[in-house]
Amino acid sequence: MSALLRHLRIWLASIRYSLVRAMMFRGDFIMWALVELFWMSVNVMLVGIIYDHTESIAGWSKYEMLLLVGTTLLVQRLLMAFFWSNLFELGRNVRSGTFDFFLAQPGWPLFMVSTRKFDLDGLVNVPVALAIVVYSAQRLNLDPSAAQIAVYAALVVCGLVLHYATLLAIISLVFWLQSAKGIEGGYFGLTEFSRLPREALRGVAQVVFVYALPVVVVSNVPARLLIHGFEPGYLAWMVGATVFWLAVAVAVFNAGLRRYSSASS
Amino acid sequence: MSALAKYRQVFLTGIQTSLVYRWNFAIRATFSLLHLVYIFILWGAAYAGQTDIGGFPLAATLTYFVVLLILQFFLSAANDDYEISEEIRNGLINQFLTKPINYFAYRLSLYFSARLVTGVLSLVPFLCILPFIGPKLALPAGDHLALYAVAVPALLMSAFIQFTIAYCFGMLTFWFLEIQSFIILSLAVEAVLGGQIFPLDLMPPWLYQLSSWLPYYYQMYFPTALLTGRITDLSVALQGLAIQAGWSLALFLLARFLWTRGLRRHTAVGG
Repeated sequence: MSALLRHLRIWLASIRYSLVRAMMFRGDFIMWALVELFWMSVNVMLVGIIYDHTESIAGWSKYEMLLLVGTTLLVQRLLMAFFWSNLFELGRNVRSGTFDFFLAQPGWPLFMVSTRKFDLDGLVNVPVALAIVVYSAQRLNLDPSAAQIAVYAALVVCGLVLHYATLLAIISLVFWLQSAKGIEGGYFGLTEFSRLPREALRGVAQVVFVYALPVVVVSNVPARLLIHGFEPGYLAWMVGATVFWLAVAVAVFNAGLRRYSSASS
Repeated sequence: MSALAKYRQVFLTGIQTSLVYRWNFAIRATFSLLHLVYIFILWGAAYAGQTDIGGFPLAATLTYFVVLLILQFFLSAANDDYEISEEIRNGLINQFLTKPINYFAYRLSLYFSARLVTGVLSLVPFLCILPFIGPKLALPAGDHLALYAVAVPALLMSAFIQFTIAYCFGMLTFWFLEIQSFIILSLAVEAVLGGQIFPLDLMPPWLYQLSSWLPYYYQMYFPTALLTGRITDLSVALQGLAIQAGWSLALFLLARFLWTRGLRRHTAVGG
């Protein structure tokens, strides 16, 4: 328990340091926040353009789709705020040997690697993503109960863990490959599928992106909860996938760690 | 050494350098197939129950995205802005100030060599999946030869615009220490107004008209639309070509202006 508290204190100290740093480079912070806001607008715009020309996508109406996209953006903003920079730099650090410093720090290596930085620009757009979800829910005349909202929040956290696990598993391949350059492209390629309704995927695509990989379930389950209410099967699926993929990612990272033999001279 | 021979040598060296990173390009190209799968699923679902969207059948829209993705590998100035920025920041441009080498032409030669390597390597995964996606694609029907002819200079100017915009962003390093956020913001604007997210002709007509006066339209959408039959009127194509030429010239002049003004701020130090 004391170890957990100590790590929590380290995390809070890292967040405090990152906030001070963000305020030192305010222009940069505003620019990055605008960049993320713009990319979010692009996703919303795509939904608007497609639904100007069609009534539904795989049975999902415009505002159901917007709710799905809003949920995806919400999870992604949280990932960007807490973990993206850390895992992105893991790839570079392993190659350059800077990873040694994390091993020498007084904490669990995976924890130290994952929490060193905190990006405020990712977090400031979380309310925007939430606003998209709330707006869509209003247009759909949804009236979720307090329990539904609580479970939705828990599922968003599960989604964050799933995204983290996917990214960690992909970036950890750097322990085996020479360079991480381009590997993160695999993560972005996969997360595109979380903006698709599950019903749109059929055949091999359904097997790969719905059942084998957690990229569709991550956004569809929370969105379905608000639209259709409690569906125990889906909830169990989401929780099970979260536990399973986190275990896989940690195993891959640990296997890589055992293989790591420093790159410094 | 004649001017042409000088830059030919840079081009050949650039090809060798790019080939060192062949596996990275191959990985990127393979990952881009994931994007293509996403496109096929999304637009396939959007077309369900209807024969056309914006006047185009599903096959035409899918062809648009496939051609666009391939052209991106041949034309996108993916890393040039960062490399130029690094060369300015680290003082590597100093060597060009004392030699009879034009920095713009030097970088342009490197851009062409890198794009040739990435473009050709990207074709490998595309050719592998062609037997599967081929039946879902359709090139423009009827006599489209004149528009293909217009597409040739459009592609060359598109490459020039791509490079020059990246060059101008690289030049910003003379004024700003960190230009990454500018580049990412520009990439986002380019993704939308260049037609990478959706074909621009699906936008409301007033927005489409407005976009056709911006340089982003001519970076990717214009040549792709010519090749895939989204632009079929020859007079519209020729008008587009004229605007594209205007943007090429304007951006070139801007690049020269930024270089000369930037050099006034530049201080070369070291032994």
